[in-house]
Amino acid sequence: MHDLGRARRFLPGPRLVSVLVGGAAAILVLYPVVFLVQASLSTGDPQARPPEAYGLDNFTDLPRYGHIFANTVIVAVAATAMAVALGFTMGWILSRTNVPGRGALEQLMALPYYVTPLMGALAWSLLGSPSGGFVNQLWRAVGGHGHLIDVTTPYGIAWVMALFEGSVAFVMIGAVMKSMDPSLEEASQVLGAGRLRTMLRITLPLVLPGVLGAAIFVFAEMLGSFSAALVLGLPSRFYVVTTAMYQLVSQYPPQFPRAAAMGVSLFAVMFAMVYVYRRIVRSGSYATITGKAFRPRAMDVGGLRWSLLAVSVVYLAIAVVLPVLTLLYASVQRLAIVFPRADNFTLANYRTALSLDAVRTALWDSLWLGLATASIGVLLMGFLAWMIYRSRLPGAGAIEYVVMFPQAVPRLVFAFGMLWAWLIFPIPIYGTLWLLLIAYLTVFLPLGLRTIAGVMLQIDRSLEESAQMCGASWGYRMRTVTMPLLRPGLIAAWLLLFIASVRELGASILLTGPKAKVITPTIVESWFSTSTELTAAMALLQTLAVAVALALLFTVARRAAQHPGE
Amino acid sequence: MSAPSPPAPARTASIEVRDLVVRYGQVVAVRGVTFQVAAGEHVTLLGPSGCGKTTTLRAIAGLEQPASGEIRIDGTPVFSSSPRIQVPPERRGLSMVFQSYAIWPHMTVFDNVAYGLRVRKMAEPAIAERVRWALDLVQLGSLGARSASKLSGGQQQRVALARAFVFQPAVLLFDEPLSNLDAKLRAEMRLEIKELQRRLGITSVYVTHDLEEALAISDRIIVMRDGVIEQIGTPSQIYDLPRNTFVADFVGSANLIRGRRRPDLETDGRIVLETPGGAIVHGTGHGRRVGDDALFSVRTVHLRLARERPAAAVNVWPATVRRRVFQGDFTQYHVEWDGRPLVARQVTTDPVDEGDAVYLIVDPRHCVLLED
Repeated sequence: MHDLGRARRFLPGPRLVSVLVGGAAAILVLYPVVFLVQASLSTGDPQARPPEAYGLDNFTDLPRYGHIFANTVIVAVAATAMAVALGFTMGWILSRTNVPGRGALEQLMALPYYVTPLMGALAWSLLGSPSGGFVNQLWRAVGGHGHLIDVTTPYGIAWVMALFEGSVAFVMIGAVMKSMDPSLEEASQVLGAGRLRTMLRITLPLVLPGVLGAAIFVFAEMLGSFSAALVLGLPSRFYVVTTAMYQLVSQYPPQFPRAAAMGVSLFAVMFAMVYVYRRIVRSGSYATITGKAFRPRAMDVGGLRWSLLAVSVVYLAIAVVLPVLTLLYASVQRLAIVFPRADNFTLANYRTALSLDAVRTALWDSLWLGLATASIGVLLMGFLAWMIYRSRLPGAGAIEYVVMFPQAVPRLVFAFGMLWAWLIFPIPIYGTLWLLLIAYLTVFLPLGLRTIAGVMLQIDRSLEESAQMCGASWGYRMRTVTMPLLRPGLIAAWLLLFIASVRELGASILLTGPKAKVITPTIVESWFSTSTELTAAMALLQTLAVAVALALLFTVARRAAQHPGE
Repeated sequence: MSAPSPPAPARTASIEVRDLVVRYGQVVAVRGVTFQVAAGEHVTLLGPSGCGKTTTLRAIAGLEQPASGEIRIDGTPVFSSSPRIQVPPERRGLSMVFQSYAIWPHMTVFDNVAYGLRVRKMAEPAIAERVRWALDLVQLGSLGARSASKLSGGQQQRVALARAFVFQPAVLLFDEPLSNLDAKLRAEMRLEIKELQRRLGITSVYVTHDLEEALAISDRIIVMRDGVIEQIGTPSQIYDLPRNTFVADFVGSANLIRGRRRPDLETDGRIVLETPGGAIVHGTGHGRRVGDDALFSVRTVHLRLARERPAAAVNVWPATVRRRVFQGDFTQYHVEWDGRPLVARQVTTDPVDEGDAVYLIVDPRHCVLLED
C-alpha cells in the first residue's frame, strides 16, 4: 500500500499522450480534406489562394466530364468483376479443396500484390499494346492481322488492374471461407443433403456477405486506382477520374478547383462504399466469423485437383512471372521486340539508369523516406492501435474512424488536399521530402493500423492487466509485455510500410518537386518521355533496391540481436 | 535442495466495498453491492455468469471504473465517486490470478514469476531466492528456466499463482482461476490453493461459479445474482440455510415445497405448512418472517427413502419411486409425493426399484423456510 498516498487523481499520463497522438492523427487526416473541400468550392480565379469567391459552380460543371465518370465506372466494374472472380476461385481452391501444394501456393498468392499495378501496367503495355506489343507481334508473325489483344482499351486496363487486385480479393474471400465452421456443412450432409445441395443452400449463402463485402471494398479501390489507367490510358487520351484530375493539375494553367470538385465527388462515392462495406462486415448476420480457428475441411476433388493446380499456376504466371520476365527481357534490349536478335541485346539501359543523377537521387531519397516512414509509422500506428483497441479511453472509436478515413480517399485526391494545405503551412515544408513523409504517414495510416491491430487483437487483454496487477507502471508494461508481444505485428507493419512507401505513386506524383524527387514518379516520367526499355530497367532496379535494402536491414537486425550492445 | 526460508509474513489488508455500482454503457453490471473482507479472510463471490461477480472483483482490482460507491483497502479509499478517487491498479498493492492465466509467452517461467519483484526493484540475488521459494510452494521448483509457452494448463495455473503471491501483495484476487482445468486437476488445485492461502495468510477474494470450489476454499461466501448480493454467510450457512429460492437452487440441489401455514400445529418454534395436496410438513424458521403462504427448501441429500414405516412422528409420508438414476457416488430417485415430483439422493447400497411404494422421511431441521 506504499504508493497509495501519491497520485490519487485519475491517471493523467496515458490519457494525455493519447489525446496528443490521437489529435495529431486527426490533424494529419482532416487538415488536407478541409483544403480539398475548400478548393472545390472556389469559384474565382482558379489560381487564387485563398479562394476569392465560393460557390457550387465546379460541381454543376461536372456533367461536362460525364464521359470520364462513365469511363471510371466501366473500368471499375469490369475490374471488380474480374478481381472478385479471381479471388473467389483462388480462395475456394486454396482454402476448401485438396489441391496439391496448397501451403506453398497460399504463400505465393501474396506475390501479385508486391508486383504492383505500375509494374504490371508497364509489362502489359509491352505485351499487349496494339502495335508493338509482344503478343501482337507474335500474332502477326503467325499470319494474323491487326492486333490480337489491346490493353489500352477500358477492358484491357481493367484486366491489368484485376490481376493485381485479385490477390487482395483472394485474401478477403479466403479469410471468409476459412473462418466458416465446417460443422455447418457437415450438419447439412448428416441431415441427408448431397454435396451440391449443401454447396448451394449452406455454403454459398454463408460466404455471400463476405464476398459482397470484398466486392464493395475492391470496387472502391478500383474507383480510386491510378497507375494502370495512367500508364495504359494516357497515351490514347483515355481518362478516368484520377488521371483526369492529374491532368487538370499538371497542365498549364492548372485547374485546381475543377480537379478538387472531381476529387470530392470520387471521395464521396468511395466513402459511401467503404461505409457499406464496414456495415456488412460488422452486421450480425455475417456469423461465419466466430473468432474460433477452424481447420477447414478440405473437399476431396479427385482428379480435378490437378486442373485446379493448373488454374492457380496459370494465374500466378500471368500476374507475376510473365510481367517480371517481360520487363527483364525488354530491359536488356535496344528496342523491345519479341524475337531475340543477338545485336539487339544490351546493358546500356541499366548503365544509363544508374548514371542518371535524377534516378540515383530519387532512388536514394525513396529508400530514406521508406525507412523514415516505416520507423515513425510503426511507432505512431502502434500507439494508435493500442489506444483504439486496448486503452478504453474515451473517444477511441472516433479516432478509429478518423484514422481509417484515408482508406476511403484515393491517394492522389489526398495528395491534392495536402498540396494546398501545406502550401500555406508556416514552416516551409512544401516541395521538400518532409511533405512526402507526412503524406506517406497519412495515407498509410489504415495499412499500418490494420496490420498491427490484427496482431494486437489476438493478444489477450489479461496479459497486460496481469502486468498491471504485478504493480508495473504504464511505461514498464509497454516495454516488458505489450511491445515484445506485438513484435511480429510491428515487424510486419514496418516491412509493409517500407515497401509501400518506396513504391508509392498516387500521392508522390503530385507532391514531388525539383528538390524532392522520389523513384516511382521518376519511372512514370521516364515512361512518358524516354524509352520503354530504359523504364523497364528502372522499374527492375527499384524492385532490386527494395530487396537489397530489406536483406541488408535483416542482416543488421540479426547481428544486433546476436550481439546486443553493452 | 533445502527449502528456502519463507520471507517475512505478508502485510495483509482488509477490504470494504460500499454501494458499488458498475455500468457498461446502458447496462448496469453491479447495482449497489456492499460487503467487507477482514484481513486474512478468504471470501468467495459465487454466482451464475453475468451476475456481476467478476465485475466486482475487477473493480476492486481497479481494472474497471465503477460509476459510484466506494472501495477501501486497509481503510484507505482506492475508489470513491465523491470525492473522485481512482487509484490505478498498479498502485493498489493487490495481485490477481486471471481466468486465462495470462502467462507471458515471451518469458521463461522464472521471468514470469520474477516480474512483480523486478517491478519493485528488488536485487537480483534476492529475486532468485524469492522466485525459488514461490516455485517450490507451487511444486514447480525445477521448471524455472522453461519457456512459459511450453507448459501444460495445470503448470501455467501454478506459474500464475506463484507470480501473483511472490511479491507478497496485501490482497490476492482470483478470477475463476480453475475454470479452464479438467475436473480432476481442478479438485487437486482447489486443495492446493486452500493450503497456500492458509500458509500465506493473505486476504483473498475469489470468484467462481462452481459451488464445490466455493464451499471448499472459503471462510465466507457471497452469493450474487443480477448485480446484487443474495446472501452472505459461511459455507455451511449458505448450504444449510439458503435465504431464498435462488440460493437454495444455485447452491446445491434442492426441492421446493410450498404450502399454507398451519399455526395450530406449530410447537417448539417449528413452522408447519400444509401443501395443496394435503401433506403436513414440519420445518424450521430460523427467525425469518413468514406470511400465510410459505416455502420450504429441502436438500435432495436430506430426503431419506425407506421400505418400512419409520418411527418418526412427523415428516413421514408415503411416496412412489418413478425413476432411478445411478450416478456413481449416489443414486438419484425421482419420486412422486403428494401429487408432485421430488428428487432424493441416496448413498445407501440397498436400491429401491422403480414403481416401488416407499416412505419418504425428512428431519424438520432440514426443511428450511425461505424468505420468498
